Amino acid sequence: MSTEWLAIQSFQRSQDLLAAINTLSIHTKLKMNEHTDEERAESVTEARETLTSFLKGFEQLVERAEQAGDGPLLGVDPRTSQLARSFAHARRERRRFRSCLFREPISSTVDLLISTDETDQQTLVECLSELRTLVEEHVQTDTARIFRDF
Amino acid sequence: MQDILRQSNLDLLREITQLSSVSATIPATAELSAYQHWVTEACSSLRQRALQNLRDLELSRDDILDDILSETQVLTAFFRLCNQRLAAPLLRYRPSDRLCLRIVAWLHDHHTETKGIPAGLSDGEFGVWPELRIPIVYFMPSSRQRGLLYMPLFFHEFGHLLYNSHKKELDELVSDLQKELADWLEPITQRNDLYAHQDAGTRNIIVETWYEWAQELFCDAVGLTIGGPCFANAFSMYLRMGGRDRFHQPRERLAFSEHPVAWLRIRLIAERVRQMGLAEADKLETEWNRIAATMGITEEYFGFYDDRFLPSIRQTIDDMLTEASPYHFSAMDMSPSAWNPESSSLVHLLNRAWSIFLNDPASYDSWEEQAISTFLASTGAANDERTQTY
Repeated sequence: MSTEWLAIQSFQRSQDLLAAINTLSIHTKLKMNEHTDEERAESVTEARETLTSFLKGFEQLVERAEQAGDGPLLGVDPRTSQLARSFAHARRERRRFRSCLFREPISSTVDLLISTDETDQQTLVECLSELRTLVEEHVQTDTARIFRDF
Repeated sequence: MQDILRQSNLDLLREITQLSSVSATIPATAELSAYQHWVTEACSSLRQRALQNLRDLELSRDDILDDILSETQVLTAFFRLCNQRLAAPLLRYRPSDRLCLRIVAWLHDHHTETKGIPAGLSDGEFGVWPELRIPIVYFMPSSRQRGLLYMPLFFHEFGHLLYNSHKKELDELVSDLQKELADWLEPITQRNDLYAHQDAGTRNIIVETWYEWAQELFCDAVGLTIGGPCFANAFSMYLRMGGRDRFHQPRERLAFSEHPVAWLRIRLIAERVRQMGLAEADKLETEWNRIAATMGITEEYFGFYDDRFLPSIRQTIDDMLTEASPYHFSAMDMSPSAWNPESSSLVHLLNRAWSIFLNDPASYDSWEEQAISTFLASTGAANDERTQTY
């Protein structure tokens, strides 16, 4: 019996996250340059909600991954566990991941999602960019599982 | 970079249009109308997002090119999923799919949390994509799709969808089970050397592997709860000639494996069958033991399973079933009386199929042909109503 169910769930979760990151990143950059970007307003609200919900749940998971070390994350599916571990590992890769998402508690980035302060907007863009890198690397495993390579 | 992205988005738009056009030419069928609607909407959403990318490119801003690139890659991946996998149940539709689709519709409609969720059928090893943000796709080997005997295996696949519908609560129960297993695995005396470190690593692997094993055993229990004997028979018959792997796997293949060894699953199914007071338990175990003995295989799970775990596993699966509350077969579903479309359930039909196949195989084919025809006729009216109310 096939077990693609984990891969498809992880794939779709990652795709939703990436779409939310892209929407919010474009919107924030345009707003920083005084472009109103009204046509994206509805999808920006959804993107904020998606990312807020994800990051709030993820914060606890990353803490557990850091505490568990090599141990298993109980009651968590293997792909989500892997994403949390990758994040914890990325926190130690100071040269690659420099944004406040990886240097400060994740809740700081959650606060940035609703901030209108101009400095915060720039910081948010950096966080989104690095979160995107992490998720893009993570989803490759699922993509390879679902699609045959060409 | 702008030109590259513009070309790719234009290409994507052309492909989306092609897929929409092909999907629209598929005649609407009652069983697939909701599924077809989802594909149409997905294509429309993809088109809007590709057009948004083109509008963003018109702004000629270098600072958003990385975002548009990522968004184009996301769209490409999702279109690939739609084109290669999610459109297949529509594009490969055959009238013979009605049997599977109506059985799946029966399953979805008999559970509050899955009622009305679109589902499609594709060819392949038994499986399911139980992701609630996309339509549910069930997979079945093509020859099996035309008969009744292996339909109960959909009940196991449906278990994955139930799991996902109750994920938070069921994950907590699995977490408790993993904790208990970790306690069982903890050595009585603690050492502090290289071997102790390796043992700790092995224990972690076993505990982690049990996340997926617990879900698979839950799905087996869902299958059995819904179908009773027909599920046990279908499961055993489908897997028992699968070769040595079904009985024994080396330690390194058990680590992070997605399913427990089939022989272990049979043992746990037989144990549950026995609890239900059904006669099939001894027969199941005897058949598998006999095949194993003929192949010279003895049971060995390298610490991934131990009989000491059984009470915890049993209790966890019981609690998961209470939480997910799948349809439970009734006495009538196992009745030896003839299947009556007016008063009998689908589960009764599938149990009758196995009873006739095992006891009177010579007459099975003609009985099955008639039974499928009657089942499709009796469920046709209900499906027409589903389409109209959609």
